[in-house]
Amino acid sequence: MARYLLTRAWQSALTLLMSTIVVFVGVRALPGDPALALAGEDRSPEALEAIRRHYGLDQPLPVQFAQYVERLVQGDFGVSIRTGTPVSSMLTTALPVTVELSVLAILIAAALGVGAGVLAAVRRGRPAEWLANGLALIGLSVPHFWLGLLAILYLAVATNLFPASGFVPILEDPVDNLHHIVLPAVILGTGLAAIIMRQTRSAMLDSLSSDYVRTAKAKGLRPRAVITRHALRNSLIVVVTVVGLQLGGLISGAVVTEQIFGLPGFGKMTIDAVFQRDYPVIQAVVLLTATAYIVINFFVDLLYSVIDPRIRVTGDPA
Amino acid sequence: MTNLSVSATSLPRRRVLRVAVAAAAVVCTVVACSPVSNSGEGDKSGGNQSAGQDSFGTPADPAAVKQGGKLVIALSAEPDALDPTLSRSLYSRYVFQAMCQKLYDVNEQAQVVPQLATALPTTSSDGRTVTIPLRQGVRFADGTPFDSAAVKATLQRHLTNARSARKSELGPIDGVDAPDAQTVVLRLKQPFAPLLGALADRAGMIMSAKALQSLGDDFASAPVCVGPFKFAKRVPQNSIEVVKDPNYYEANAVHLDTITWRILSDASIRAANLRSGDAQVADSVSTQDVASLRQDASVSVLQSQSLGYQGLTINIGNVDGVGTAPKPINRPLAQNAKVRQAFEHAIDRKALVDAVFNGEHAVACSPISPASSFSSPEAQTCPAHDPAKAKQLLAEAGVQTPYTVTMLASNTPDTLRLAQALQSMLKDGGFDLKINPVEYSSLLDEQDRGNFELLQLGWSGRIDPDANITNFVGTKASQNVSGYSNPQLDTLLTQARQAGDIEERKKLYGQAVTLLQQDDALIYLYRQRNLTAVSKQIQGLQVFPDGVLRAAFAGFAK
Repeated sequence: MARYLLTRAWQSALTLLMSTIVVFVGVRALPGDPALALAGEDRSPEALEAIRRHYGLDQPLPVQFAQYVERLVQGDFGVSIRTGTPVSSMLTTALPVTVELSVLAILIAAALGVGAGVLAAVRRGRPAEWLANGLALIGLSVPHFWLGLLAILYLAVATNLFPASGFVPILEDPVDNLHHIVLPAVILGTGLAAIIMRQTRSAMLDSLSSDYVRTAKAKGLRPRAVITRHALRNSLIVVVTVVGLQLGGLISGAVVTEQIFGLPGFGKMTIDAVFQRDYPVIQAVVLLTATAYIVINFFVDLLYSVIDPRIRVTGDPA
Repeated sequence: MTNLSVSATSLPRRRVLRVAVAAAAVVCTVVACSPVSNSGEGDKSGGNQSAGQDSFGTPADPAAVKQGGKLVIALSAEPDALDPTLSRSLYSRYVFQAMCQKLYDVNEQAQVVPQLATALPTTSSDGRTVTIPLRQGVRFADGTPFDSAAVKATLQRHLTNARSARKSELGPIDGVDAPDAQTVVLRLKQPFAPLLGALADRAGMIMSAKALQSLGDDFASAPVCVGPFKFAKRVPQNSIEVVKDPNYYEANAVHLDTITWRILSDASIRAANLRSGDAQVADSVSTQDVASLRQDASVSVLQSQSLGYQGLTINIGNVDGVGTAPKPINRPLAQNAKVRQAFEHAIDRKALVDAVFNGEHAVACSPISPASSFSSPEAQTCPAHDPAKAKQLLAEAGVQTPYTVTMLASNTPDTLRLAQALQSMLKDGGFDLKINPVEYSSLLDEQDRGNFELLQLGWSGRIDPDANITNFVGTKASQNVSGYSNPQLDTLLTQARQAGDIEERKKLYGQAVTLLQQDDALIYLYRQRNLTAVSKQIQGLQVFPDGVLRAAFAGFAK
């Protein structure tokens, strides 16, 4: 186990370093110049030069990279070129919003998806399955932004049930916070719910027709216990993998959802930073996203062994 | 809102206007940058208007508004640094308007009026000493007194900070003196008429010397100025909030408790927020949405024609990048003014504005808005739409038709619709327009490098015409992306900059426009009208020709 962890940690560090370099070079390969984007209408050659000098953009790329990495290892993400705010403070404001949104979206998606998936498998061939399949198809095909717009139109503008935009931090007012974030979370969770539903359904169908379920039934266990304790538990392994893999998709979905609902999260920050060529912000966001991916994948691997004891983590090649 | 409107709560309106007119007369004689007529189409009802008319909104009636309340404004783009020295975006001016007052302001007739100054400046006979009297008994949001020392510290920061965006606006200032607490004297190397216009914008915003000392370059993190509201908090890329400032010198004229600008870049989302009541104001309403908003009984639409323009720039000499010496480009469009004139004659501006913007914007043929005090018949002359003449000019120039021109344009829906309309129009004039849409940051980059044949961009406009012309067409000027150079025009513009008399400046700018239209390096197309949708719950919100949304003295209706 220790050896496995060590190998994984080493691989992760290497991946991180590679992504740092790729992002650093990639961002600078984009056409457009942060000094120009910042100077906007009032640009003059002196102003552009002063901006470039101030942010070290006049230095050769290797020097800029060295300075960036040097600051990074000290935990300093630099200062936003657009607003002059330290990137770390932007991250600490934006990250909790996206984490809350994503966690809520996953919870909603898992509850809906697993519930509907189990129902569809158990009630195979009946209207409940058709309904669940139909909803899943809609959930998969309808784009987030359109669903978000519809939600704003009908649930915010027409009925005033939810606010159309804005965010209240959870510590400030938990109820108001939930009121603001539930609608975006549901919208964000729809696609994932559909995927989870389909995976759960097919995994459950597999399990339900397997020998151990027949044995469990033969032993006289109640149907509910058979489904939850035996079939579902085995099916969840697939669901966990899917949720893990879809987290990335969730983050890209959050970009759109946050933009539509005006949520001050990671996604909105990314879009704005890319348009403004705000290098330090883009770099920090991509680096953190890469880190998140690595960490999530790592935990998904670990979770396998918890859910299914037959999967053992070892450092040895299989 | 301006100092004038604040006074309007205590003075009869007519008297206020008289004071403004008298003040304007003073400046005519002493400063050379002064007001004349308004656009003549200003409508002050503040109600719903049809397309093409100005409606600036009216000051709030103190008897009809509630005290308190939180105003939320849906803003289309994020303001940059909230530091008057560094700020470069229009949107930061919206926020500054509520918390950073200026020595001078602009009123709805596009006239300059005193704000933190008590009168328009007096200028010495040689035009090189400008004296500004300051208000007394005024305090900054941090409680420190507003005086000539603070003005001096602010102006010196504008002039010396390495990243200052104000330095060039302030012109040839040699020094700033503070002979007593209520007077500031600016010494100039040579006369500079656009100075007053600059002091009515961010260069005239005075910052607390104490805050400048403690925050330095981080002033934007907690800006302190004189204003009806003071900075509360900013969530980058999301919102900015200001709260009522009890230290403000006319705090009783301020009705709201807080103002929050929430950044929502999508126009339909802004409109949805307005309709759901999550915001009471939405700026930059799309010309596509405005008709339905006008139908809405709970919403009024404010509209004001801008002092800027949208146009087409032809690359005639920008080979080594903007600001460098022009070099010849081997293309008929770049080399032959006849080809450019043909291009202009092929464009039907009125049809363009009607088809693409539902007639909401105004046709423009020069950098001088008809709303400007410096407008003249010469400045408003418009080359006729005449496709036959366009073809004839192309034939005279020996160009084979259809002549293909590639246009670089931003990839926003509005610009793309404009580009397509232009494309079909130009066909009749013998041109084949190819559209090359790119994202805004790339467009700026390509334009400055000179990597284009023709491009579409605009300018938001300033109160003094010099700031709308010289920088774009003066030889080697910092925004002359066309690489255009005409020594005769340069002379005219320098004369206009230094002229002490408004009539003289007007005449010179008229001549400049005639030259510009002959050379046609820049083809002016239309002037945007700033469209702002306001819930009828709110009174006293105004938008002036400087394009700035004024919310500081608004209030919720009783």
